[in-house]
Amino acid sequence: MIMLTEKLSLTQIFTMIINFLLGSSIVVGVGIEAKRDAWLVVLIGMFIGLIIMSFYLYLMSLLPGKNIYEIIEYCFSRKVAVLFALVYLSYFIYISSRVIRDFGELITSAILPATPIEFTILMLMLVIGYILYLGIEVLGRTAEIFSPYMFLFILLLFIFLYAGEKINLTNVQPILSSGIKPILKSAIPSIIAFPYGELIAFTVIFAHIGDFKITRRVCLISVFVASLILLSSVFLIIATLGENTAARANFPLLIAARLVSIGEFLERIDVLVVFIMMLGILIKSSVFLYGGLKGIEYIFKIPYRYFAMPVSCIVAMFSIFISLDFSDHLIEGLNIDLFILHVPLEFIVPIFITFIVLVKKWKKQRKEEKGLKV
Amino acid sequence: MEKTKEGRKGVKGMNYFKKLMSINGKKEIPSDVVPTKAKEIGIDHLTFEALKEIINETFGNTTDLQSDVIRVGNSEGCIYYLETVVNTEMLKEMLGNTLENSADKDIVIATVDDLQELSKKSFGVSGYKLLKTVNHIVSSILEGRIVIVFRGVGQALSLNYINSEGRAVAEPTTQTVVRGPKDSFVEDASTNINLIRKRIKNHHLRFEKFMIGNETRTNVYMGYMYSIANEKIVAEVRSRLNEIDISAVFESANIEELITDKSITVFPLAMNTERPDAVATYLMDSKIVIIIDGSPFVLIVPAVLTDFFTSPEDNYQNYFMSSFVRLIRYISFMIGLIMPSAYVGVLTFHPELLPTTLLLSVIAQREDVPFPAVVEVFIMEITFEILREAGVRMPRAVGQTVSIVGALVIGQAAAEAGIISNIMVIIVAITAIANFVFPNYNFANASRLIRFVLIIVASILGLYGVLLILVFMVAHLSSLRSFGVPYLAPVAPFIVEDQKDVFVRLPIWSISKRPSYLSPNIKNKQKPQGSPSPPKPESGKKQ
Repeated sequence: MIMLTEKLSLTQIFTMIINFLLGSSIVVGVGIEAKRDAWLVVLIGMFIGLIIMSFYLYLMSLLPGKNIYEIIEYCFSRKVAVLFALVYLSYFIYISSRVIRDFGELITSAILPATPIEFTILMLMLVIGYILYLGIEVLGRTAEIFSPYMFLFILLLFIFLYAGEKINLTNVQPILSSGIKPILKSAIPSIIAFPYGELIAFTVIFAHIGDFKITRRVCLISVFVASLILLSSVFLIIATLGENTAARANFPLLIAARLVSIGEFLERIDVLVVFIMMLGILIKSSVFLYGGLKGIEYIFKIPYRYFAMPVSCIVAMFSIFISLDFSDHLIEGLNIDLFILHVPLEFIVPIFITFIVLVKKWKKQRKEEKGLKV
Repeated sequence: MEKTKEGRKGVKGMNYFKKLMSINGKKEIPSDVVPTKAKEIGIDHLTFEALKEIINETFGNTTDLQSDVIRVGNSEGCIYYLETVVNTEMLKEMLGNTLENSADKDIVIATVDDLQELSKKSFGVSGYKLLKTVNHIVSSILEGRIVIVFRGVGQALSLNYINSEGRAVAEPTTQTVVRGPKDSFVEDASTNINLIRKRIKNHHLRFEKFMIGNETRTNVYMGYMYSIANEKIVAEVRSRLNEIDISAVFESANIEELITDKSITVFPLAMNTERPDAVATYLMDSKIVIIIDGSPFVLIVPAVLTDFFTSPEDNYQNYFMSSFVRLIRYISFMIGLIMPSAYVGVLTFHPELLPTTLLLSVIAQREDVPFPAVVEVFIMEITFEILREAGVRMPRAVGQTVSIVGALVIGQAAAEAGIISNIMVIIVAITAIANFVFPNYNFANASRLIRFVLIIVASILGLYGVLLILVFMVAHLSSLRSFGVPYLAPVAPFIVEDQKDVFVRLPIWSISKRPSYLSPNIKNKQKPQGSPSPPKPESGKKQ
């Protein structure tokens, strides 16, 4: 089995994490159920996100160079690890197809209403399959190249909305009008699981990183930056649309972008927003898919590149079958997945594994000490 | 039985396919196709007559092989040369002056030492070679040297009287500049090396010679700065040149296809230039140049994408201007790539993106046009490609015709006839012009091809499709490598220290380092320094 060693640079990790976190959360918006204090939800989420990120980083730093599957193997045995890998890879592929579905719905409802969603999704998945076939390095470089444009477009959106006098701060005031309770309610556990808990997918990627100390700092900074962007986008949504419209809209940021009108020249810049979202979706879905592919690689011991194209076609199909329509899709994502999938797989299992790794390491150390004494 | 037969057939079919596609699959070449190689026999094993016979036999009945018996002193010799490649004027002079003169004297050439002494005395300056095998004699004659064989002497004398007639050094035709050196490479490799050596007077500039082409035996030179260039990349280029197994080489493009990294791509993975100053600049950046005898285009490897957006002239004009021009090049690359597809996408799927008044005028113009936007675009783009190809190939004398036909008949008349809209003419024109901005012609070809893919996809999926293809293209680009160097360096992977000469050009005094993605041996070009400040007024004097 020949496997090329792939290395990701720090800028690549940085841009990948940002795009990953923005991914579908910028499409559907987070914390909108907290009404005009939605941005505070993201603020709380940011701190929790930093904690989650450092927890995953800590888990990875215990056994450097190993991905989550190999860590499970270290804890138990290969047989148990294969079982866990099956669970995790189906989880990753499932999330990947959910993310794709989000975007497919966006395309269908916003820019290509007459084109069947199956076709738009399949085309996107073919591109993702090609990227993953070329390797995670190529994904990193793609993220690196497109990210500056994404930042630029978000900035432009801000400027346009501000210059068009669409931002109305009274929509956000008064802050904390209904107390802190609804904020906490929408922050825990939903924002923890989505998007921050999804960073679990990076436990597969972090195995490619050389220097852990600098990486840790870069990862935390990127979570911080992504949260700031997310926070500002949520703030923008609430401030321009008002809490009621924002809560009703399926794709709030898109609706906000439609308000842009400058000099009767710059109008309807939805496509810009779709571009912002597309990159995030692409990265997020690819990272999840990569996690799944790595799981397949772990089980079958065949390089993951061979699976890239077929599995992306499966994801394309799966993302259609996953739910009847968009509201069904959202309900499934927000209510059912949260407790059945997200919380156990993103937190309970990793914490459990960390505990076992620590115990094993401690035992080993004690043995060595004993050996030294004898 | 049937099944197995079919199975076999399938396998056979696969094999045929593999044979078609295989690059390394070596077949046995039938013996009559193998280039006739002269035997590796030492001359000292042969008698004078036998040697003459072998040489005559090797060349057969070609008319331009001249063989004459000459006498030097008391010894008999035989002179061989191809009269079509040898400078006969000089040859006559030489024979008269040096060899015949010695006839008076009683010189006897009986041993190798005698021959060496005579050659040293007579041709010490002009350069002579002593050949030991028949093989060397034959290739010497083919190269355009003259060979003299003496009776009873174990080595042959070969003299350089090559008739190097060719084009004189002139202005470049494909890469012109306003300000900068006006000379360009010619077909003769030694002249080209001369032009480079004139610019870099450094003993670290080295040229290695390769003979490539089993039949054409073309001279190929690999040049690099020994002190600067990364020896791993040099070794890689050297080994790739050595591995070439091909019958004929005529142009640097042949070599380019044979040595660039194995990948299916429309993007050029090696640069070419006909400007010696560009070659010198890249040599200083620790790149490697490949010069092919017979082609004025010199290859430069490894190449990265951003190289194709730079011109040697960038260093010859104000750096603000250069930076601006580079920006224009990047913009025009995007225009040339997505303008027609954006037109199709916007008109077909997203008309709301256009300002209302513009949209109204576009629709008014398209009222008479019977075709959907994509057909319209295809008609015009294909027409333009035809015009362009005709313009390149046609004889100079009828050049005017094409421009008149192109501009008037197709541009104006087609719009008036209602086949296409006026705005379409503008789109095609701006796309075409944007494509000519690149300093490097073969890079523009890549965007020419991708443009058509984009148009088709835009007609199906609108701007979303265009974005998808762009992502696809970027992913493809970032997977490419040129001699191990990532094709998108220094943008992805992002290298901060190399950004001084990529999208903008900072002043020359501020760029103190060579591009680090080429991992040069010596990183610093010069000391980091500032520009000179105006002289301080002397403290004593007051005005």
